[in-house]
Amino acid sequence: MIRLQDVSKIYDGATVAVSDVSLEIQKGEFVFLVGPSGSGKSTLIRLMLRQELPTHGQIWVAGKQTTTLPSWKVPLLRRSLGTVFQDFKLLPNKTVHENVAFALEVIGRPRHVIRSQVPQVLKLVGLATKADRLPTQLSGGEQQRVSIARAFVNRPLIILADEPTGNLDPATSVGIMRLLDRINRSGTTVVMATHDHAIVDAMRRRVVALERGRVVRDQSRGAYETPDQDPVEA
Amino acid sequence: MRLQYLLSQAISNLRRNGLVVFAAVVSVLVMLTLVFGTIVLRWSIDQDIGRWDDNVRVIAFLSDDLTLEDIDTLQQDIQGWDQVNGIEYFSKAEALEEFRELFTDQQSLIDVVEEDPSILPASLRIRPVAAADYSAITDRLVVIPGIREVSAADEAIDALVARSDRLRTFSVWIVVVLGASAVVLIANTIRIAIFARRDEISIMKLVGAGNWFVRIPFFLEGIMEGLVGAALSVALVWAVSGSIAELFSTSTDPGALMVPVDFLIRNGLLIIGFGGLTGLMGSAFGMWGFLRD
Repeated sequence: MIRLQDVSKIYDGATVAVSDVSLEIQKGEFVFLVGPSGSGKSTLIRLMLRQELPTHGQIWVAGKQTTTLPSWKVPLLRRSLGTVFQDFKLLPNKTVHENVAFALEVIGRPRHVIRSQVPQVLKLVGLATKADRLPTQLSGGEQQRVSIARAFVNRPLIILADEPTGNLDPATSVGIMRLLDRINRSGTTVVMATHDHAIVDAMRRRVVALERGRVVRDQSRGAYETPDQDPVEA
Repeated sequence: MRLQYLLSQAISNLRRNGLVVFAAVVSVLVMLTLVFGTIVLRWSIDQDIGRWDDNVRVIAFLSDDLTLEDIDTLQQDIQGWDQVNGIEYFSKAEALEEFRELFTDQQSLIDVVEEDPSILPASLRIRPVAAADYSAITDRLVVIPGIREVSAADEAIDALVARSDRLRTFSVWIVVVLGASAVVLIANTIRIAIFARRDEISIMKLVGAGNWFVRIPFFLEGIMEGLVGAALSVALVWAVSGSIAELFSTSTDPGALMVPVDFLIRNGLLIIGFGGLTGLMGSAFGMWGFLRD
């Protein structure tokens, strides 16, 4: 589903954000990218989204080689990806329903599809009764649910989440993780960058740990902290 | 639905930054008013020169020793030249008659001419095909032995042509400068619209909106600004050309300066198209380097 091969990203010829990363993520996996700030988690997400191109190496996402993908085909790649961010990125002057519908409108989905899909996905995230609220009238957790609904409404193959619980308290975060877990169980691959120890330790999914742009651990059913014995278990 | 969506985006962009949009529309308006005004003015000048053209004559004064047959042969010869549209013989008697009319209140001059008929020679008055042909005709006439002197209103013709050329050059420069500023101003409105919508655009890109789907509203915005400015300028020039004609119609030649409606329509459409093109260029500049993936 996602494959990185010897990927490096160097900014301005000097700052190394990602160094020589090779990684393979299968369909239906749930993968945590963990590591301290500046370890390259967000850069990896941006590379997978093809918001950036690697300085070296090749990347395949959802069956497409992003490194050779012409720019006019990028929108097609993005339609098979859903993205969730720490700051929600909702449009403040649109209602919950409109925010989710927007994702379908701008890729030209017909109106009857939008009318049936949006309430369905809002029900999935537990916001069916708040469809007409504006984002400012919602709590942080609810806003993040809206952004997950927007990411999922187009039934993407992959959800890429960059610190989705970064702005939320632990209790709310648990709700968001339950939601992402449910989406993952429906067959969607989820890649989530986080530095939330509690979540990673509780979920026990595959953990890819990064440090200064390098993969220092890749462990299935892992925890946030490095176990004492063998750091890399591939 | 998509077209409706794109249009509504463009219109809400226009509403959002009224003042800059206003400035852009006004600059298109001023620029194209000058272009269209110049076109209409050129038309009037051409009409003027056209009327002038009809009145331009090259006059060949004949020496007194030519017989009537000589003159007849000469007249037929000149009539055959390419640049010559018509030729007319003006006898000594007719010249005297004309002189009397012109100087009717200066009896002393008339007396002098009447005493010595050789002062006023017979002449051939030659009408060129176009005013500019006068010099070619003059060149050929001066070498003919029986012709004493050749006269044409050369300086006046040259001055008129030069003046209308200067006007054309001047208006081209004004249009270039104003056109550039209109493009820059439209580009500015597009930048502001992109900036105001940057969050929306980044989400559109993330969920996979096509590049053109993102760009088209901004193109539409620029084109609308260009079209509105152009349409206003056409309306303005049209209205003014009508009132100028009214102003002049009280004088000697009513209707002579009335710009024909089909001329206004044809050039007005051209101006409106040009306005749209200006808007399109402005949008393209405004988006330059932005809205890449």
